Amino acid sequence: MFTILLGVLEEGLVYAIMALGVYITYKILDFPDLSVDSTFPMGAAITAVAILAGTSPALTLALSFLAGAAAGCVTGLIHVKLKVRDLLSGIIVMTALYSINLRIAGKANLPIFSQKTIFDNDVLNRLLPEALKPYAVLLVLALIVLLCKVLLDLYLKTKSGYLLRAAGDNEVLVTSLAKDKGMVKILGLAIANGFAALAGSIYCQQKGFFEISMGTGTIVIGLANVIIGTQLFKRFSFVKSTTAVILGSILYKLCVSLALALGEIHIGRVTITLPIVPSDLKLITSILFLIILIAGNQTAKKGKKNA
Amino acid sequence: MKKNLSILMAAAMTMSVLTGCVTVEPKETTAASSEASTTAAQTAPAEGQTEAQADNSAAQAADVSYTIGIGQFAEHGSLDNCREGFLAGLSEEGIEEGKNLTVLFENAQADGGTSSQIATSFAAKDVDLMCGIATPMAQSLYSVAMKTDIPVIYTAVTDPVAAELAQADGTPAGNITGTSDKLPIEQQLDMIRQILPEADTIGILYTTSEVNSQSAVAEYKELAGKYDFTIVESGISSSADIPLAADALLEKVDCITNLTDNTVVASLPIVLDKAAKKNIPVFGSEIEQVKIGCLAAMGLDYIDLGKQTGRMAAKVLKGEAKASEMNFEVIEEAAFYGNTKVAENLGITFPESLSTSAKELFSDITQ
Repeated sequence: MFTILLGVLEEGLVYAIMALGVYITYKILDFPDLSVDSTFPMGAAITAVAILAGTSPALTLALSFLAGAAAGCVTGLIHVKLKVRDLLSGIIVMTALYSINLRIAGKANLPIFSQKTIFDNDVLNRLLPEALKPYAVLLVLALIVLLCKVLLDLYLKTKSGYLLRAAGDNEVLVTSLAKDKGMVKILGLAIANGFAALAGSIYCQQKGFFEISMGTGTIVIGLANVIIGTQLFKRFSFVKSTTAVILGSILYKLCVSLALALGEIHIGRVTITLPIVPSDLKLITSILFLIILIAGNQTAKKGKKNA
Repeated sequence: MKKNLSILMAAAMTMSVLTGCVTVEPKETTAASSEASTTAAQTAPAEGQTEAQADNSAAQAADVSYTIGIGQFAEHGSLDNCREGFLAGLSEEGIEEGKNLTVLFENAQADGGTSSQIATSFAAKDVDLMCGIATPMAQSLYSVAMKTDIPVIYTAVTDPVAAELAQADGTPAGNITGTSDKLPIEQQLDMIRQILPEADTIGILYTTSEVNSQSAVAEYKELAGKYDFTIVESGISSSADIPLAADALLEKVDCITNLTDNTVVASLPIVLDKAAKKNIPVFGSEIEQVKIGCLAAMGLDYIDLGKQTGRMAAKVLKGEAKASEMNFEVIEEAAFYGNTKVAENLGITFPESLSTSAKELFSDITQ
């Protein structure tokens, strides 16, 4: 039971970083950016290759963020400069990166089980008392997520951050301030995809391998995280949106875990038998989301109708 | 505000109750009031007792009973056969589901995130052994099991060394071992040469995201020259690409040989249909593919592979051997499978040397 919760927190926190990125594009910029489906595995690919080449694990985080940001810039440039529609520019970059990711990694599955990572290295092993060892992953993750959240909160309060928010709500305002709204969008996409790649890098180090298919559906998870989080905590004004997104990510993973837990009912000591087979997993997960969203609507009846 | 809060609380409590123990009656889970939490709290001690009783009776039923977790990466005929064979292999060794074996089975639906959550949930239940079917699942299980002392057995992993599940000399990378479904490529090429003495080019359709297929294609290319073949490869990225890729490939080749590529196998009927129209033979890589219309295969029977894996798992469970001390195994003998109906349609007769040594010949095409 406790291990499951620990697993949920670990999984949720990794995806929370990516969700922070999706929060920027979807909620702030109102830009449905599909490129995260490929920037997430790109972070993982770069990390696996860099670590195998002897780069320090911490440095791979920065490398991944930068590479993700570069990819985000490309999406932005295609949209802003070449006037391609938002969805399509994301699709173009997502599709192209699939091949590029395979080039980076050299193959579709690259394990780094035997390598040092940010979760398992000499410094960490020396610093951490024995009692905290089982929580090493959680502690490192919590630290990184907190750092990302605080930095993002601080950034959104800067002048550039205000412009970013204005670009989503009221483009005219940005133009009237004599700023180029296109540049603001590109910047937002760069940060968002940087976060996605960073999450991919961390995911790869935690799981011990890169797999090309790991990015499929990332955007769906990201959107669900953002919507669950913001919807559920809408009424609690003391909960910042960024915090809500992180909580949403953990809730999402909790739903999957719950669905898995329901599926295992045939283990000997249990009394009820629900006719659930493993292939029902996704159905149950989605029903749980629906329940959460309805609960969210109950708490925020006066809010907007749509999630 | 207060009412909303209470509803939220009730929902949260219901959820925590659901995760905590599945023994809750459905009535309680649907009750969206704060009462749910109190009833749950009251019934909690009682549940503990029934659990203890259940454990006792299970222990009395058999001397030693095992709980294992089987994680399968995707829904897929060959992988299903692996699982079936695995359980059969275990029961050959006297470990039978329902008697002295409890099986937790989960399917990740081809989602990497889900497979690691499955791994965590197995570890949380402290199973006696975890079985991973297909490479990504095996890696996820291993990643979690490294921190515990739960042994992992894998199957349907083509290259355990490349997946870092085994060392280059075949010894395990950790407390993990299993079976590889590496294709007997040289025998396959030899068989194609015997059936089609005139053919020059062999086409291979594969998914660029599948590492197993990539290494198989590389090996085909390396060995093709020995049998005077040229390999024409066509990489796809999703099943939507298959019709176009198959059309293009069929223009260029004398025959097609099929790998164990998950995406292509799932859409194999499309390829078979297009090839049949052009009278081009398609060779398979395992028994199921020959059943559905491949001409022939020098290949694997995944049920046999699963059985072999199950026997290894039984040794580990009984304490006869440690997973960390067993080298991974490959299928002992490649066997010839042929489909005489397909051969008849193409106007081909199997050479006698092959048809007499066939493990199984099918006389019709299963749809």
